[in-house]
Amino acid sequence: MLETEEIGKVFKGKAAVEGVNLYMEAGEAVGLLGPNGAGKSTTISMISTLLKPTSGDVRLNGKSVTKDPGSIRRVLGMVPQEIALYEELSAYENLKFFGRIYGLSGRALEQSIGQVLEMVGLTDRQKEVVKTYSGGMKRRVNIAAAMLHEPEILIMDEPTVGIDPQSRSHILEMVRKLNKEKGVAVLYTSHYMEEVERLCDRVYIMDHGKVIAAGTAEELKSILSSEETILIELDRAYPDFTKELQAMEAIKQATETENGIKLIVPKGSRVLGSIFQISERHQAQVLNVAVQTPSLEDVFLHLTGRKLRD
Amino acid sequence: MGAFLKKDIIVLLRDRTELLVLLVMPFILTVILGFALSGLLGGNAAVLEMEVAIVDEDDREAGAAQIEAAIADREIPEQAKRELLAAVQAMMPSVLLDGLLESGEVAALVTTVEMEAEDAQQALRDEQIAAVLTIPQHFTEEFLRKALLDEGSGSELQVTISDFASTQADVFYTILDEFAWTLNYETALAQAAAESGLAPGAPMERVGGTESITAAKPLSALQYYSIGMAAMFSLFVASTIASKAYVESYQHVFDRILLSNRHPFLYLGGKAVSAAIITFGQLFLLFGLGALLFGTIDFLDIRMWIGIALVSAMLSICIGAIATVLTSLTLRYNNETITTIFAGGLVSVFAFLGGSFIPVDGMPEIIPLLGGWTPNGAALTAYLSWMQHLEFGLLVEPLVRIGIIAVLAAAAGFLLFPRKRGSLS
Repeated sequence: MLETEEIGKVFKGKAAVEGVNLYMEAGEAVGLLGPNGAGKSTTISMISTLLKPTSGDVRLNGKSVTKDPGSIRRVLGMVPQEIALYEELSAYENLKFFGRIYGLSGRALEQSIGQVLEMVGLTDRQKEVVKTYSGGMKRRVNIAAAMLHEPEILIMDEPTVGIDPQSRSHILEMVRKLNKEKGVAVLYTSHYMEEVERLCDRVYIMDHGKVIAAGTAEELKSILSSEETILIELDRAYPDFTKELQAMEAIKQATETENGIKLIVPKGSRVLGSIFQISERHQAQVLNVAVQTPSLEDVFLHLTGRKLRD
Repeated sequence: MGAFLKKDIIVLLRDRTELLVLLVMPFILTVILGFALSGLLGGNAAVLEMEVAIVDEDDREAGAAQIEAAIADREIPEQAKRELLAAVQAMMPSVLLDGLLESGEVAALVTTVEMEAEDAQQALRDEQIAAVLTIPQHFTEEFLRKALLDEGSGSELQVTISDFASTQADVFYTILDEFAWTLNYETALAQAAAESGLAPGAPMERVGGTESITAAKPLSALQYYSIGMAAMFSLFVASTIASKAYVESYQHVFDRILLSNRHPFLYLGGKAVSAAIITFGQLFLLFGLGALLFGTIDFLDIRMWIGIALVSAMLSICIGAIATVLTSLTLRYNNETITTIFAGGLVSVFAFLGGSFIPVDGMPEIIPLLGGWTPNGAALTAYLSWMQHLEFGLLVEPLVRIGIIAVLAAAAGFLLFPRKRGSLS
């Protein structure tokens, strides 16, 4: 349905995106993961026709959208990272304006506004001006504005940034329903691994403007199938203890976490005994030890050497 | 375009700061300037009142008799003699001068006192009078001889003005200068009539146009500044609309509009129309308030309002066109600096050149020349002409100028608009 062919974008001589290939089938949910500056927003701006690629092409059903931007604009709903709304207007007035510029009018427009307001749970507060809304409510209207014309493809650029857990959960459930029940194809970018794991059928991981891995969550995790994660919970930080663990040959990675230390070790390694011995030597109080299978976060760390939110 | 228009108007109406600038500020400035400068613009004529001595050394009757005798002696047809004799009474300069000094507007400013020459000079030195007007000996005779018989070199009135009341004296001098010009004009007409076989004083078709300042209805300072400030502040509508476009750009609302697949010119057209409608509303609100609170315009004078509406409509269209230029530049460079420069600098320059702050008539020629090509300056000229003369013909030139500015601005606006994808990021 939608695919990119080696698209790239150069800003002032510097490549922001290089040779990105991705595809999305009708009704599919695809995640685009990457830290800040990875090139996610630039990539989706090229897909949505807001930016012209410096190289490569974007195709919808085999036809170039760079040559015919209208072809994708008609079926695309775009939820930008920013709150792209008129703060001085109410939710209803915003939706009415965007609905009208999408060619809706009369009863069809009112019906559509009613539906999207119900979908985002703001029917009761539709007459209040947007600037009085909480961050979560603004994000919900931001999504509603992209859904008015019932798009076949929804591109969402970090739609849950900076909102409360309740609104976040509401938005995720809404996106899941749109995808699973209404068959809307979703391209979802996020910092949050758990959102992408929950919503998306397949995931692209981007870093430094390139796609560095792609596949289903399980396929990506299989990259680390030969490894396992050990979480050691401590009463406080012990930097020397961490350093000694990092120096151990049997441990691939040792990073400090909020509550202790996270280790990535070869599957089946018998390192726990040694870890306890070292902890005693540093008089570190171990509160808990857990052995986990890898997450997408671990995959990302493995591939880039960085955490997603670095 | 209706969606864009409605949205722009609602957004502006909910922005109290902008409304304050566009509606309240010009009103406050009108009141301040109108009252502060009322003495200079004729709103308060009391400061110009003066006493003037008349030293009359002329013997009118004897002068007239001399001319009548000269006509009688001439060898010309009897009919021509009768007409020339009638013209003697019609063109008596002293009668014309008395008429001028006793006319309502001049009499309100000038109080005349007949004096002997020496007494008059003393009164002038004692700063009791602002000027001495001396009507010399044989003034009537010499004037009529030149005017009717084209003999001699004519006559001159003598004015001695004081230093202590120079403004009043200047005004008096200007009044007399105007009078002398009128006499010369009448003389030229009389001679032309004689040459063409018409009787002097018979109605003639005027060749070319003459503008008589005294024929215009005087405007008060409040009236002047209510127009000047309205014309100036209409320019701020253009920058306000463009600054809203910048907000749309950085809040990515403009991206949403682009993705709706509407032609971007519809967006720009919406900006132009909304700026024009907002300007028209702004102008009428300001003029309406002025009329209601200060009587700057007669509320019930329909003809007056029609002319004002015509000028306002043209100015509003021009402001809409300027809004497209500012919007296009703002979006092209994704920068609000252009709007800031316009509102913070160019508007003041335009206001000065166009005469919104002070009348530019007495300034070096280049100032009114440039001011005539600013939208506010051309509009101010049109409004003033209309309020003083109520003649549609006088509106043509300034309105054509506003129209030319509007067409050029709209062309630039649409050419500069960044309609290509990718040029906005």
